Amino acid sequence: MSGACVLSARELRIVRGAPPTGFMLAVAALDLMAGEVLAVVGPNGAGKTTLLRALAGLEPECEGRVRRANERPVAMIFQRPVMLSGSVAFNVRAPLWGAGVPRTQAARRAAAALARFRLEAFAGRSAATLSGGEMRRVALAQAFVREPGVLLLDEPFDDLDVAARESLTLDLRSAIRDTGAAVALVSHDLGQALLLAERIAVLIDGQLVQLGPREQVLRQPATPEAARLLGMANLLPGRVVAREGEDRAVVEVGPGVRLSSVSDAAIGEHVVAGIRPEDVKIDVGRGATPIVGKGRVLHTLSDGALVTLQIDWGGAVLRTFLIAGRGLGHALRPGDLVSLAIRPEDVHLMRMA
Amino acid sequence: MTSDADVFAIALRTLAVSGAALTCALLLGLPTALWLARRRFSGRRVIVSLVNAGMGLPPVVVGLVVALTLWRSGPLGSLGLMYTTTAMAVAQVLIALPLVVGISLAALMALGDEWHVQVRGLGVRGWRATWLLVRETRAGLLAAVIAGLGGILSEVGAVMMVGGNLEGETRVLTTGILMYTQMGRFSEALSLSAVLLGLTFVLAAVLTALQQAERA
Repeated sequence: MSGACVLSARELRIVRGAPPTGFMLAVAALDLMAGEVLAVVGPNGAGKTTLLRALAGLEPECEGRVRRANERPVAMIFQRPVMLSGSVAFNVRAPLWGAGVPRTQAARRAAAALARFRLEAFAGRSAATLSGGEMRRVALAQAFVREPGVLLLDEPFDDLDVAARESLTLDLRSAIRDTGAAVALVSHDLGQALLLAERIAVLIDGQLVQLGPREQVLRQPATPEAARLLGMANLLPGRVVAREGEDRAVVEVGPGVRLSSVSDAAIGEHVVAGIRPEDVKIDVGRGATPIVGKGRVLHTLSDGALVTLQIDWGGAVLRTFLIAGRGLGHALRPGDLVSLAIRPEDVHLMRMA
Repeated sequence: MTSDADVFAIALRTLAVSGAALTCALLLGLPTALWLARRRFSGRRVIVSLVNAGMGLPPVVVGLVVALTLWRSGPLGSLGLMYTTTAMAVAQVLIALPLVVGISLAALMALGDEWHVQVRGLGVRGWRATWLLVRETRAGLLAAVIAGLGGILSEVGAVMMVGGNLEGETRVLTTGILMYTQMGRFSEALSLSAVLLGLTFVLAAVLTALQQAERA
């Protein structure tokens, strides 16, 4: 899916104010490939929006270089898109007028962009009367009408209901596929970002902590803070107490509570063991995954679709998901004793600084 | 006795002088407001404060300054502009300019920085971005034009001082009304007033129609 590098940023640096209240963005290198979607995740105030704006050339005080590999423009969708007064059609044509595209060509391209985002029926309507979701669609049409080589999306699904999110995600995915644009996407909702993203960049305090293919980043976060952001909800501090075979380390995360991990960590090292909730299994006697011990259910939280179980495992709290309303998800109650199964390859050790 | 032809000539002169003054005030004021809205520099706040103070400038003080400048012994006395329609237009420009700049600036600033960033994000730059800005704020800008026009049309003190209310030369509606009232010739004063009110109403109505026009 991904092709050649279409946008390359080097030594980006923005400094605002002085420490400790000031903000600094420092990104040594970031490349966007044709046709790929890169999700930028990070806590509030990490600089995600600032990074997108810097890539779009909209941060005047940004030092460093941002190079485009071709003449196709860089388009950005803002978290709160502002609409120009006038019709939806006018708003979609405006970027082409701004680029001096001849009128007939602009009309044709605007019609195609309106159709792509299912806005034909809105073309004559005043943009001021649109809902948040409709404005987001207009903003996407404004971006795609420019035939961008790079598309930067800042919280494109914010404030949308589930149905609007889903249809916008699908339209966006086909638009990205058809145009081959490289996309960088900022979303505070990791699950939403993962519906589109193939690569993940983790930005914390203005620093790019990790950048890589999504599975690798999700399963092997660089730091505990990155792990937390990426949904690795089980983070257990401990110490390597033994080596097992060629490639495994045994970690003690509590008195007598031990986990095996595929890792090259040496005996004595202090680590944080990260396990994704979906990798913590409740064993019902089928016996495929190694049992690590018994735990007691502390709490069950159901959102109707999934039940989150909090399980006390020798003092450590583990989280896991079950399908709500059936099987164990239906049967388990606080106080129940369960067998826990975790595969060593699902335990990711992060060295403590 | 003032004939219809005189009234017509006075009304026409009023339109010509005020029109010229308003045009100059807009040509100077709108770019100044755009510049103040978009640029950040030291001393900007002082200029904006002066503009805002200028919106309440007493016209007689403006008249006095223009008179002193254009007086035969004044710095621009050699131009021989005292007691001409040009002198009147200059005074009116000085009165209208702060109104045009101040109200336009408020309208332009109301959009906020984010609007400009996003328009730049759409790839619209240079004069096209300025045109979009003017289009977006046109209701506020037309309010500035209406305020400027009102300031000019209703002005009497300054134009009296620098124009002299010379019959057939510098007499305009406001100075005519003032003179006839002082002479007790109320019917002439009333007819000139009616013309001035009518003129003001028609011009304000045209500008209001433009301001409130459906944005499409």
